[in-house]
Amino acid sequence: MRKSTVAALHLLWASLLSLCLHAQNSVVTGKITEGANNTPVVGASVVVTGTTVGTTTDNEGKFRITLPTGKNSLTISSAGFKSQTVKATSGQDLNVKLEEDYGKLDEVVITGLASSIKRTNLANSVASVSGRDLNGTTVQSTMDGALYGKFTGANISENSGAPGGGISIKLRGITSLVANSQPLYIVDGVYYDNSAIPAGLNSVSKAAGQGSVANQDNPSNRIADLDPEDIDRIEILKGASAAAIYGSRAAGGVVLITTKRGKAGKPRIEVGQTTGVQWQLKKLGMRSWDEDKVVAAYGASKLPLYQAANGKVYNYEDELYGEKGLMSTTRVSISGGGDKTSYFAGYTRKDDDGIVKGTGYKKNSIRLNLDQKLAKFLDLSINSNYVESQADRGYFNNDNTSTTLGVSFVSTPSWVELHPDANGNYPNNPLAPSNFLQTRDLVTNSEKINRFLLGGTLTLKLYNDSKNDLRIIGRAGLDYYTLNTIAIFPRELQFEKDGNGTNGASIYGTTITRNSNYNAFILHNYTPSDKLNFKTQIGVTQENVDLDNVLSTATQLIGTQTNLNQAGAIQVQENKVKQLDKGFFAQEEVNFNDVLIATIGVRGDKSSRNGDADKLYYYPKASAAVNVNKFDFWKWDNVSQFKLRAAYGESGNFAPFGAIYSPLVPAVFNNSTGSLIGLTRGNQNLKPERQKELEMGVDLGFLKNRVGLEFTYYTKKVEDLLLNVAVPTSSGFSTAWENVAAIKNHGIEIALNAMPISGKDWKWNTRVNFWQNRAVVSELDVPAFNTGAFGATLGTYRIEQGKSPTQLVGIGTADQKPDPNSGLVHFADAEPDFQMSFQNTITWKRFEFAFLMHWKEGGNNINLTTLLSDIFGTSPDYDKKTLDPAGQKTNGDYRLAALGVTAQPWIENAGYFRVREIGLYYSMPKEWFKSIAAVKVGFSAHNLINFFKYSSYDPEVSNFGIDAISSNVEVTPFPSAKSVHFDVTITF
Amino acid sequence: MRKMKSQYNFLSKIRTVILVSFLLWINACKIDPIPDPNNPSITSITQNASLGEIQNLVDGTESAMRDNLGNYFDGVCVIGREYYRFSTSDPRFTSDLLGKGNATLDSNTFYTTNPFAARYRAIKNANILIEALTNTKASITDEQRKAGIAYAKTIKAYELLLVFNEQYGNGIRVDVSDPDKLGPFLDKDGSLNAIASLLDEANTDLSGQTTEFPFTSTIYTNDAATFSKFNRAIAARVAVYRSDWNGALTALSNSFFDINGPLNKGSYHIFSTAGGDQLNPMFFPLESNGETRVAQPDFVKDAEAGDTRLSKVVQRSDTAFQDGLSSNYDFYLYTSNTANIPLIRNEELILIYAEANIQLNNLTEGRDALNKIRTAASLPNYSGALTQDALIDEMLKQRRYSLYGEGHRWVDMRRYNRLDQLPIDRPGDDVWVQFPRPTNE
Repeated sequence: MRKSTVAALHLLWASLLSLCLHAQNSVVTGKITEGANNTPVVGASVVVTGTTVGTTTDNEGKFRITLPTGKNSLTISSAGFKSQTVKATSGQDLNVKLEEDYGKLDEVVITGLASSIKRTNLANSVASVSGRDLNGTTVQSTMDGALYGKFTGANISENSGAPGGGISIKLRGITSLVANSQPLYIVDGVYYDNSAIPAGLNSVSKAAGQGSVANQDNPSNRIADLDPEDIDRIEILKGASAAAIYGSRAAGGVVLITTKRGKAGKPRIEVGQTTGVQWQLKKLGMRSWDEDKVVAAYGASKLPLYQAANGKVYNYEDELYGEKGLMSTTRVSISGGGDKTSYFAGYTRKDDDGIVKGTGYKKNSIRLNLDQKLAKFLDLSINSNYVESQADRGYFNNDNTSTTLGVSFVSTPSWVELHPDANGNYPNNPLAPSNFLQTRDLVTNSEKINRFLLGGTLTLKLYNDSKNDLRIIGRAGLDYYTLNTIAIFPRELQFEKDGNGTNGASIYGTTITRNSNYNAFILHNYTPSDKLNFKTQIGVTQENVDLDNVLSTATQLIGTQTNLNQAGAIQVQENKVKQLDKGFFAQEEVNFNDVLIATIGVRGDKSSRNGDADKLYYYPKASAAVNVNKFDFWKWDNVSQFKLRAAYGESGNFAPFGAIYSPLVPAVFNNSTGSLIGLTRGNQNLKPERQKELEMGVDLGFLKNRVGLEFTYYTKKVEDLLLNVAVPTSSGFSTAWENVAAIKNHGIEIALNAMPISGKDWKWNTRVNFWQNRAVVSELDVPAFNTGAFGATLGTYRIEQGKSPTQLVGIGTADQKPDPNSGLVHFADAEPDFQMSFQNTITWKRFEFAFLMHWKEGGNNINLTTLLSDIFGTSPDYDKKTLDPAGQKTNGDYRLAALGVTAQPWIENAGYFRVREIGLYYSMPKEWFKSIAAVKVGFSAHNLINFFKYSSYDPEVSNFGIDAISSNVEVTPFPSAKSVHFDVTITF
Repeated sequence: MRKMKSQYNFLSKIRTVILVSFLLWINACKIDPIPDPNNPSITSITQNASLGEIQNLVDGTESAMRDNLGNYFDGVCVIGREYYRFSTSDPRFTSDLLGKGNATLDSNTFYTTNPFAARYRAIKNANILIEALTNTKASITDEQRKAGIAYAKTIKAYELLLVFNEQYGNGIRVDVSDPDKLGPFLDKDGSLNAIASLLDEANTDLSGQTTEFPFTSTIYTNDAATFSKFNRAIAARVAVYRSDWNGALTALSNSFFDINGPLNKGSYHIFSTAGGDQLNPMFFPLESNGETRVAQPDFVKDAEAGDTRLSKVVQRSDTAFQDGLSSNYDFYLYTSNTANIPLIRNEELILIYAEANIQLNNLTEGRDALNKIRTAASLPNYSGALTQDALIDEMLKQRRYSLYGEGHRWVDMRRYNRLDQLPIDRPGDDVWVQFPRPTNE
């Protein structure tokens, strides 16, 4: 007791002493430059070595700093350069030249809840994407959409071209069959909800129910709310070997996002405006018609209709998808700070119009990040973000009522008149249940979000001496949002009036989500000698999830009213998700002279999502890295890095919410409501799905790391995968949740970094990524089954032991050699053969030219847009004769003849090569603006150049959104767009 | 040196505090299960149900008893050659059910699996009701508790009987209370015996008890003694299925059997157009095409002139065809989509009375009972031979017309080993004895 009092006094004394020392100072000035031209480095950090006193360089690379007494060196660092420590004395004017850090080996990588490590010592292949990589080449619509091709090991796919997001990210293959397969997102320590909440369009489209129960409403997933402009850097922990410390939520990988923070120095003000336009990525064209074709497609009874059109045709593809959507992004940010306080404030306004009239995405995002040193031993850091957005997404995808824009578009030939008369009255579509021009003009499908994100970190530096550094970190985060979905189908729509529908539908959804997380860690950094360092971490965590979704569907609308009261019938559904997780972790890292770095750790997690809420599940990890080039025997100077690394880890994934419950569901009876046992039996013994990953790799650096090569091999097994399996119905249940399957994934990832040119005027940075993944269902305790599409006739996924979980099978002819057991033919796989990307930045004097190319080889889709177009006789290539080997049938007839015989015509190669991003910028000389401002202007483009054989709008598509299995199915989606932008950035 | 020491102590102190608090956290940090926020859970309702929740279970059970009745009746009535079920979207009603060509009944197809699962789902709900009644702390008397349980057992017995009607020789599972340890499939006779004992067991807590159920029911009545009359009516049906003729008469005497009473007196499933409620699945509008039920032509052909029970079918303006079958008559037993469907009614009880008496050689009593039925159908009294065999033929005929479309014909012909007397409409068609046991069992 007494000893600790003494210790506390000691601590207090030390902090008082430090306050007193501020009295005596001396000033040092200087200029930081880089390269042969001695280009000033703007915004470099200058810190008095061993202290927290610091500043940043101004627009001319200059700084001025006051040295505390007894201090005589400065540490200078800037992203992309090696940090340097230089001697400094009072009154000196320093000139410091920074050296480029080619291999980014000094870069500090965040690897866990409370850990970070220099890249050179990293034992995992952790991908880092800087804010510059993210937004530097062109403006980005959403954060997840900005990640394409920027690192290895991910399969990223846009669900459709609808504005406002909706992107599926799968890291290192399929990690679940029915549960969540998306990564966990953490923004500055706050768990960021990424739900995709449907707007209830299904009550009109009836897409689910016949053949497929999955939601096909095409909602955006909520990571779209995060403003990419706010992001400083992103770390991606791709598998369990890196993400084990995140335990039971990390099976899909973890994306750690760090937002921008202020640095000590003058206020830095950045204003940017990007103005652009987007248009349809690929037009399919229209079929041309004559009387014979009309009779063949629609029967003789429709011929008078065609004749009445008198040869007049409309280019409906242009009318529906031909809008040139204006895009505007305005950004303002102010950052800066003093000795004790630093701040970053950012505001972004985005207003993008879609390529379909009435669609678009508007977003306002405000961020304030604040860092305050409360005392010498206590730091506080706060992040806050408010986002308000509205996405008008149109009405697309599959249906069973032929009412979505996509389906009614393909079911209408070009000679049908759909335009409204002078009074604005739309004619009925004589050949389909919906007039898509009317639907486009009158239907609302909107998502509105109000989201507030708040995080705080308190760091208590408990103890510090030459060998020890002990600190306690407490962190709390809150993610709160209200999502309003509004879908309005007025009663004058062709498919709502005259007994065709429900006389209008007004569907309001409200989702209130309140997620919070709390962590506390203790970090002890112990350096017994120059060559040895131990880092110990232990911590506890808690996460709460609380989601409440209410969907009110009003039908039989009164007149033009959309208020829920103004309806003859109303139906309400509520769905809640509640979850509480608690866990702990402990990790020990040993670093022997930067030669050998070894880590072991374990996470223990409890969750109310598990059958036994109070049971701890353990997720261990271990890793080691050896920098062979740092051994004394290493003589090959040209090989500047040779690192061997290996890592093993485990992580978990929860069952879908509700899987542990055996609910009693409502049954309406006798003017009352009864309770009836649900069809699915919950399982109180459910375990989390468990991923076990082993990763090995070698990192090589040549010529002072001007050339770097990373090679990684991983193998991972996901066990205890959940399925809803059929049970004996005499139990009263039809299905039950069980842990019954396992998948093995393995793959390789290669990244080559190089700086082939680094001259006075010219500079060329390049990065080539290559990655591939292979998966196999290694265990399946239930019979093989089809899933994730519309049945074997049209092609389907099939989960089968010994086969890929993303195999595409279907019915087929004897020539196609069906499997003797299932009778189905294996046609292809949805997984790409491999992916490659090429990132290049070339600078010449004040010009910068950057581009990102992305090549996805193979990987197939089930394209049912073509099927529907054929059925309704509108396929653009209907009359060509390129498919039939006998040269007899037209393509349309050939494919239709295959319907019911083989699924082959609808399974298509979805590979592509595209220039994802391209940008050309010019930095204007500062003298033009009296050195007050730095102005950069440029042009950029997104998906400007595309090559693919796929016959529909875009091979990147998913009718079923972000489902684990069943992406790569296309049914008349919102077509994708490409865009060009003009960009101005002014920095003061 | 001293300083070093104090630092060391400080550090080790902190370490100790941290370690202790960490261990404390691990112990203290208990997570209680979160109950399902969206639905009531079985656990809470079986441990301490309120009276309201018990009523919910009763309503849920009575609602579930209606689930999939359409497929049940289509199965037994089509095989029993009472009517054809035409469906443009599903050819299996006319192929598999009638044994067209090489078609057989499939063990994993909706007509086998859906009615089977639906009956056991209602049974499961009744089992939950029994558990809820056993454990509830709501203020009910012991008699009420027993009567309520007896009600649930009666419902279970009735539902098991429907499963048995389809499974027959395969037998059925009777003990299904624990989904992890489902009881064995009993043999044919064992199944019927188990159903009979379940009814008897229930009846001991119903018969003569004036107590009211702790809930309201639409099945028959809400008091134990009167509900016993429904229990005994079912028991009488089970007794004739077991050829227990004396038992049938005893059961009838304690049932709502009334030889002079209205034929439609009895117990019914109810339907309504209220949002979310079910409609009568056996109703199709007259003259429907595509989805329809039409009478097997022999039903009209074999009828005696003037039989008013022919009103159960209505002549169509055009002939309905499908799959080589045709009929001029719509099945029209139910004239609206909210018409009630009987579980059991007095007309059947009179016929059971006739059957038991004929079998016990009380031929006059049997004939007189059949004449009640004939009179009600505007037919003259029976004039055939007063022999047991002739009267059995007559009894089966009256059952065919009186209970048309209610799922009895196939069961009756099977009981009397007369399935070969059912009409074969197309060469190669088969009359199945029973449905296969579902694959998942």
